[in-house]
Parts: sequence; C-alpha cells; structure tokens
Amino acid sequence: MEVLNPRVRLAWGVGAVVTAVIVGVLAAVVSRFTLGPGVTVGLAVALGALALGLVFAVLRYRTWRFEVRDDDLYLERGVLTRVNTVVPFVRVQHVDTQRGPVERALGLASVVVYTAGSRGADVSIPGLTPERADDLQEQLRRLAIESERETDAV
Amino acid sequence: MKLHPLSIPYRAASRGLSAGLMLFFVGRSLGDAEALPVPMAGPALVTLAAVGVVGAAAWQVAYYRRFEYRLTGDGLEIASGVVSRRNREIPLGRIQNVDISRNVIQRALGVAVLDIETAGGGATEASLRYVGYDEAKRVQREIQRLKRGAEDAESGTEPDERADPEERGTVLFELQSGELLLLSALSFDFRYLSLLAFGPAALPFVPGVAELAFLGGMLLVALLVVALWVLSAGMTFARYYDFRLTRLGDELRYERGLLQRYDGSIPLGKVQALTLDANVLMRRFGYATLAVETAGYGPGQAPSGGSEAAVPLATRERVLRLAREVEDFEVPAFSRPPERARTRYAVRYALVLAGLAAVLFALQAVVGPPAPIPFPLAVVPLAFLLVVPVAAHLKWRNRGYAVGEDHVLTRNGFWTRTTKVVPYYRVQTVIQSATVFQRRRRLASVVVDTASSAGGVAAAVDVDAETARELRETVGEKLQASLAARRGEADRESDLDSSRRD
Repeated sequence: MEVLNPRVRLAWGVGAVVTAVIVGVLAAVVSRFTLGPGVTVGLAVALGALALGLVFAVLRYRTWRFEVRDDDLYLERGVLTRVNTVVPFVRVQHVDTQRGPVERALGLASVVVYTAGSRGADVSIPGLTPERADDLQEQLRRLAIESERETDAV
Repeated sequence: MKLHPLSIPYRAASRGLSAGLMLFFVGRSLGDAEALPVPMAGPALVTLAAVGVVGAAAWQVAYYRRFEYRLTGDGLEIASGVVSRRNREIPLGRIQNVDISRNVIQRALGVAVLDIETAGGGATEASLRYVGYDEAKRVQREIQRLKRGAEDAESGTEPDERADPEERGTVLFELQSGELLLLSALSFDFRYLSLLAFGPAALPFVPGVAELAFLGGMLLVALLVVALWVLSAGMTFARYYDFRLTRLGDELRYERGLLQRYDGSIPLGKVQALTLDANVLMRRFGYATLAVETAGYGPGQAPSGGSEAAVPLATRERVLRLAREVEDFEVPAFSRPPERARTRYAVRYALVLAGLAAVLFALQAVVGPPAPIPFPLAVVPLAFLLVVPVAAHLKWRNRGYAVGEDHVLTRNGFWTRTTKVVPYYRVQTVIQSATVFQRRRRLASVVVDTASSAGGVAAAVDVDAETARELRETVGEKLQASLAARRGEADRESDLDSSRRD
C-alpha cells in the first residue's frame, strides 16, 4: 500500500486555515448582531475550527492509502467514515492530473480517475509528487486501454 | 428532415402564451411604479402582451426553419439553433433509450416528442419537438434496424438473414384492467404525505373549544390522507393505463399512459440493473413491480428519477419470470446483517424519539400554552418507544444481500422493499464504507455502483465488517471473471463466423 506525500498535510492545513477564517468571520458577524461581543467570539470559533481542521488533516493523512493492483485501483481513506473503493481498470473512462495553487506551491499534484458510475463518479488521489502523479496517470491510462477490449463500456 | 409543420403553431401557442403573459404582468407592475415614459395601462399593456405573443411565434417559425435532423448509418445528426448554430451527432452505439411521448393535445394534432437518451450528461441528449407520430415511430424502428445492421456488419452476418423485427415482436406483459385498478389502489406513495404539511393552511379556522379542534384536526388529517390516497391512485391509473411491454429482437418496447401517452424502447444490451419493488400492501397480496434500469433516463423523468420502463404490477412469480427474460439470474439465499445491526436500529430509533420528546418538552416549557389533551405532549413520542423493537426487527429482517453466479443481489426497506439485481459485468466501482457508529459494532456497508441513472444504488447495508471486505473483493473478482468469459465468448463467435465464411 502506498501512502501520500507528507506535505499533503500542509495543503489540507491551508484549507483548514481558510475554512477557519470564514467560519470565524461568520460567527463574529452573527454574534455581533445577537449576543453583542463580536471579535472575541469570532476568534474563539475560528481557533476551535482551526484546531479541529488540523487534527482532521493529520488523521486524514494517516488513514489515506492506495494501491495499484492487478485489475483495479484500490483506495482506503476516511476519518469518521472509513471508505474503501475498488475501481476496476476496465471502468476507467479517463484520468486527469490536477494541481491547485496551494498544491503547486507545495510541489504536489492530484490524480482524478473518472468512471461512468452514477455515484463517486470521480475518484481522486491527492498529495502526490508531480512525477508520481504523471506516472500514475500514465500507468492507469495504459492499464485502462489494455483491459479495454469490450466495445460496450456502458 | 424537418420537424412537423404543426409544431410551429403548437410551440407558438404554448411559448407565446407564457411570453405574452409575462410581458403583461411585468408591464403592469412597472406601470404602477411610473418608471416608464409611456403609462402602462389598457391598450399599451395589451400591445405589449401582443408583442410578446407575435415575437414568440416569429421565433418558432425561425426555429422550425433552422432545425434539421438526419438519420445516417452512423447515427443521428441534428443541426439546430436560430442565433447560435449547433451541429450534433449522436453515434448509434451510444443511444440508450428512444422514447416517444404525446399528451392529449399532441395526440389530437398527431404530433409527438421524440427523446433520445445517451449515458452521458445530466439530461436528455436530444429532443425532437415535435415530429409527426408516424415519423417518430419510424425513427425509433430505424434506429434499432441500423444498430443491428452495424452489429451484423461487425460480426460478418448478412442483415437480410434476420426476419422483419415488426413480426418478431412478442408481447411479454399486458396490464389487465383489474391489475391496473389494484395497482392504483396499492401503490400509495408515502411521499404524498409531505403534502400534509400544507394541511394546516387548508384547515378552516374554527373558533371553539380546543378539544373539539383537536378531534376535528384528527378527522381532517384522516380525510386528507384518504384524499391523498385517491389522488395517488388516480395518478398511478393515468400513468400506467393500457400498459404493454413487448420484446422486439434485442429491444424491449413499452407503451403506457392515459393523458400523456409514452412509447419507449430499451436495448437489452444496455441494461444496467433490475429493481424489484414491493411495498407492504403488495407483499401482503403477493405482488411486485419491476424496473429495468439503463444509463439513460426514463421519459418525463428528472435525472434522479426511476426507470419508467418496467412492469408496474404483477404477481411475484410473473415478475420474477419477466425479470429473468431480461437478465437470466437465479435467486440465491439472502444473508441478513448480523443481529447486532438490529440493536443498532433500535438504539437509533429510541434516540430519535427521545430527542423529539425532549424538543417537545422544551417547547412546551418555554412557550407552550397547556396542551388541549390531558397529558404533556412530550409523552406522545415516548409512547412510540413500545414499537421500537418491532420497527428495528422489521428493518433488519428486510435487509440482506446475495452473491449469485453472475449477479449480486441486495435488498433493503420495509415499507417498500427494494431488491436490486446487478450483473457483475455491469459493476463500475465497489465502495465499502463504515461510519464511526458502524465501526463501533464492526459493521460496514458495501455499495455496488453501476452506470444506471435510475437513482438508488445496490447496497448491502450493515453487514459484518469482515464479510463486507470479502464481498468487496468477491464482486471485483467476479467482474474480472465475467469480463474474461464474455471476451472468450466473443472470440469464439468471431471464430465461428470466420469459419462459416470460409
């Protein structure tokens, strides 16, 4: 089983900071109009949200793992709800690599796998180095084509 | 080919009316504000509305002139658009369903809507509004013929060898009037109960004794429930009036509907899953319904809706027989979730009731005037605690999954028990998940996802964690095995064809 690059915790951490700021501002505004004190409540809420987000980022990193098996891609993840997904290569429609601004700054990339399934139509693996992401994309693409001998995928 | 000429007046009438009305009301509300140089009253308003009607009509003429479609050996080509042009080609092999629908007015005019569904996107891929009914039927037939022709060309057989599909159509199922009435009576959709939320608004305000109001309220709710039941029965009756399912070569055809007539085709090769439904009443009398799911959508359905192409009601044996015509599956013994899942449901229900009671209690303590009944309102949910064990047991009893030779089956739900049959070779992804609460009891759920867009996935809920892991791996392996088997079959067939040609 492969684990994600540890730097992904930083990426998730940045996400947690952004969420914390938004939640804090919202809480400050709401409390200003209802309870009276604005800034203190907002700050407290923001700090709480940040702590929660950081703990989550760490736990999420610990549970995330994936494996390219013989016939399928297998993923395990989830802090509160543990999710294990099996994506057979035959079902892969296309594979993307993605790099957001934060990911670019940290030198990370994600691979997104699309299937025709009605649920969880896209499976994404975050926290890969760009080289690993490109490799994985290429590997999945190759495996998908190799296993694609059926004419009717859907 | 062009659309039917009558589509101009029909579209103009429906669109023009709404455009005219909109302009009329916009003009009136602006006229009040005195924001316009011309006072919006009387003749000016009528003129504005007329402009809307004429404008819409002119647009429809342009739309008609610019809309063209053509059925070729490769697929359906559509060129449309008045201002921005759009050319679209739908490959034959990608077409999932072809559906024709006509409402009362369209039937009188002899026109129909032709909808072409493909697997992609969130909506109908192409919609021809409106073509002549005969033309719609022709296109529907022609698509099937061309498709088969393309397959034959691939496998090397002569298309002429096959008999005329029109003669080979066999009626699989016809809904008798008795069955239709029974279906209407039995198929109460519990979603209609949500309409009861509007009940209080419909309640006439009667000043008087609170107790009387309570009794009256109960009576009114009972009346409303009956009215909703009648409404639901009426809707079902109109929906499935004169239902007929035929098999035409490798396609299923269905026809149904009283006010709005539907007429659709489902290629058997595109079937993603089968759904057998039976609500409490149907189970009691030994009936069930069947839905055939494809990656396209049913006619007149929101993307999340269910398949319309189904057997609305028949005895359980007949439904099973029909389902096997579509997909040859056996029904293995279902395994139920472990008993600790039942405890979980009981605890969950009890917690919900306790929470409800707490809320009611708090409400009454803070704002409430004394209840019109001689005991505190919070007791009502607590009384339901008595039935919690029964409810938990029923929920648990109706859950399960079964691993067959070529299919995996899942079953869920007490009020409406849904059995899903998924062929392994249709599996897209397998997802095993376990929430915090499930992990506490070593339980997990396995979702077997297909490309079906009918809504509702096959899920084995609350099975033992270890069993869930095994199920996940088994389904994945069976998918690979079935793919290999199909490949072998295809290879053998092509060998046979080449030897026949030699």
